[in-house]
Amino acid sequence: MVTFTVNNAPVDLDVDQDKPLLWVLREDLGILGPKYGCGVAQCGACRVLVNGVSVPSCVTFAGDLEGAEVVTIEGLAEPDGTLSVVQQAWIDEQVPQCGFCQPGFIIAATALLASNPNPTDAEIDEEISNICRCGTYPRIRRAIHRAAAALSET
Amino acid sequence: MPRLLSRRSFLITGAVLSGTVAVAATAGIGYLASVDIDGPDGFVDGDRAVLNAFVAIYTDGTVSVFVPKTEMGQGIHTGIAMLVAEELGIPFDNRISVEHPTEVLPVYGGWASQLGIRPEEASGPLHWLGRRALGAASIVSTGASSSTYELWTSLRQAGAAARHMLVGAAAAEMGVAPTELTTPGDGSVVHEATGTSLTYGHLALAAATIPPPESPELKPASDWQLIGRSQPRVDIPAKVRGLPVFGMDVIQPQMLHASIRQAPVTGAAVARVVNEAELREIRGIVDVVVIEDTSVAVIADSWWTAEQALWRAEIAWTPTEWDDLSGVELTQRMETALDSDEPNVVHEEGEPFPDTPDHLVEAAYSAPLVTHACMESMNATVLVRSDGTAEAWVSSQSLTSARWGVSRGAAAAGIDLDDITVNVMQNGGAFGRRTELDVVQQAAFLAALHPDRPVKLLWSREEDIGRGIYRSHARARLRAALGEDGLPIAYEARVAGQSVAQGLMGRLLPITGGGNPEGDFLTSEGLESPHYAIPNQHVGSHHVPSNIRVGLWRSNGFSHNVFFAESFFDECAHAAGTDPLEYRRRLLVDSPRLLTVLDRVAAMADWGSPLPPGRGRGIAIGGAYYSVVAQVVEVTVANDGEITVDEVSCAVDVGTVINPDQVIAQMEGSILWGLTTALMSENTVENGSIVESNFHDFQVQRLRNAPRITVEIVPSEELPGGAGETGVIPIAPALGNAIFAATGHRIRSLPLAATETIGERQTRSVLRTAYT
Ligand code: FES
Ligand code: FES
Repeated sequence: MVTFTVNNAPVDLDVDQDKPLLWVLREDLGILGPKYGCGVAQCGACRVLVNGVSVPSCVTFAGDLEGAEVVTIEGLAEPDGTLSVVQQAWIDEQVPQCGFCQPGFIIAATALLASNPNPTDAEIDEEISNICRCGTYPRIRRAIHRAAAALSET
Repeated sequence: MPRLLSRRSFLITGAVLSGTVAVAATAGIGYLASVDIDGPDGFVDGDRAVLNAFVAIYTDGTVSVFVPKTEMGQGIHTGIAMLVAEELGIPFDNRISVEHPTEVLPVYGGWASQLGIRPEEASGPLHWLGRRALGAASIVSTGASSSTYELWTSLRQAGAAARHMLVGAAAAEMGVAPTELTTPGDGSVVHEATGTSLTYGHLALAAATIPPPESPELKPASDWQLIGRSQPRVDIPAKVRGLPVFGMDVIQPQMLHASIRQAPVTGAAVARVVNEAELREIRGIVDVVVIEDTSVAVIADSWWTAEQALWRAEIAWTPTEWDDLSGVELTQRMETALDSDEPNVVHEEGEPFPDTPDHLVEAAYSAPLVTHACMESMNATVLVRSDGTAEAWVSSQSLTSARWGVSRGAAAAGIDLDDITVNVMQNGGAFGRRTELDVVQQAAFLAALHPDRPVKLLWSREEDIGRGIYRSHARARLRAALGEDGLPIAYEARVAGQSVAQGLMGRLLPITGGGNPEGDFLTSEGLESPHYAIPNQHVGSHHVPSNIRVGLWRSNGFSHNVFFAESFFDECAHAAGTDPLEYRRRLLVDSPRLLTVLDRVAAMADWGSPLPPGRGRGIAIGGAYYSVVAQVVEVTVANDGEITVDEVSCAVDVGTVINPDQVIAQMEGSILWGLTTALMSENTVENGSIVESNFHDFQVQRLRNAPRITVEIVPSEELPGGAGETGVIPIAPALGNAIFAATGHRIRSLPLAATETIGERQTRSVLRTAYT
């Protein structure tokens, strides 16, 4: 039995301790925003926030989640549907192409801006190692700067 | 008059045409005349009026556009919705949405691109026969960068026809003549004389009964309010919330999950699953299945459980003739082919290559196998019902090939093609990979064994990278005889590679045996340089078979051949002592469209301005899919050999532009796709199988490796061209030419650099050979 929260909702689950959080979310909880892209912590498509830290959920295990607060892409908007600043910046810069990688990028960017409110291009490049095969990298950089600017005004 | 079945024809046309012609021969030409190429007239469907095959209007004024094209990231749903909205007369906002139709209607078939032409180019018998013969075969597919130019006229006509019907309904209700009415573009019909107006939502159901016009009149370009002006993509708001349902995200009641292991050596069969009994004991395992001898699947109540079981599976494979095949051996086979004097002739023009030219330039080039690695790995969900029907949910580029996949995989269950419904889901990248039916067929095979339970088969990333489908490798020899002015008098180029057409056709239509691989245009495309004024040209190709599956891959043969040719012409420029830009300008004397694009990119990049030591600029140009792209790359090569791509400038002429921001996005994406492949990505062969298995050894660019990119669209009044692939073509040679400018080192094989890892995930690119 493991008890934690996902997007503020309490979860009580009887699953294998070594089942990756990614598959707990997708199969046991029906939360499909985090994607399977590699399963080995390489691509970032599965990233979620665990206690505010961006982690690859494909190598984060159920047994380690006791008491944790998990936030997925679905949990970033306000309960009334208002988008987070990062999500809005993603729309304003028209970032996604196929969109499959984007939940992972938006999570990674959210975590980056929480620890570094005004990152340089070099800091963005070092901190965010996710993969996008459609090639949205230039727009991702622009969207992070836009979100940083918006956050500094609030 | 375009050549029927010209070299750009879509691959399966030949087989499909002959099939249809056979039907026509037995059923008579009357059979073709009966093919419904116009789709349905208006009808009411609940709270909406379907006005034609492409447009439905709801009573609340919202609009659905049926787009028979897959959204795989290229923004096509937005572009096509804009075409309809433009002529229908509605603002481009959230009242318009897009659906992929599930019916395979002839009207949705991409008949013109299968003939290698634009719909606007066909007239008379070709138009009549093409639409009917290929419509009857109904190949609904997204590829060859063709979506925009294929639907450019027909979607605007669909919007205009719907508007005509709405006006007709308003005229009837108001008791006035249609000519007294206008549509101001806000989703209403207005009678200006009396100031009355009616909304499209109000008129929708009545409009369904109005006969559509014979040939709807289209707006002149000067009246366009949407076309040519950037509009936000219709799919992005959902994508930033994580809401779209990709094939991988499909959940159906009672669904089972499956994972798979395919033969490491393609062609090997499953001898047996040694520990099958043990696997069946694992909690959650439902079945262990050998699929048509070629792979082993585990079905479970969770994909994670199935995949873990496969980690423990001991599978014995039969030996094959390919078991000792290595990359060295494959290289040798291609070199032997190139040594032969009998290539398939692709292009012959002018005199034979001179025996003893005064100024000879020659070089040999190569490119490796490389896979797509779509971020969404291959998957399909299939339900075979005991009543003899089937349904599938698939990330696919082709409704047609997905249906064939279901029908073939579920053959044991005897499902009729007409009883199969395929739902095309959002694609997490496709790049040509999702024209294939392999995963659909496998999933259908499993589903047929478990009737009334949907089965979702998901390939692990290791299956996708290591047991998948690849862009062909290629090796080429090029030579040129330069005249006194330094320009080539004669150009000869030969490429050896593996025929993609044969591989793909063999998989899609096995009855054809894959057709003749010799002279496959996909092997040689881009090696000819018809835009360059070279009087004597000779281009040939060789097909070198292997057990590796090669298939369509964003820009196909252009991706390696333009690297070969545009690097080689750079060599010629340097051999002639001429600036590479100036050299290309002279070669383009007869190609004003390309010259304009070339000059534009040179100006953007400030070509000719001095750079510090260790930095260099390279230029290249390519034309394909009715579009032209030129790029300049600026690199820095450090003393330790590290290559940093600093900046890419890109000028593009895609003809008439529908959504400029998405043309720019496609160029950005194409450049990064091409740079990744040029610098890093490679699949290698040992013991008959692919070595790489995941992103730790199949390297791709990340943010850290991505340059600044500037794109400019060159204004053009040509019909729309393709934007999804052309941008890939010049980037590899532009980069190689830049590295030469920076270092004096000419690199003739892809990938251009070695990849060194930094920490767990980051990488840098380093020259393979020492340089100071
Ligand atoms: S799926 Fe977790 S990092 Fe790729
Ligand atoms: S948007 Fe397609 S992989 Fe990133």
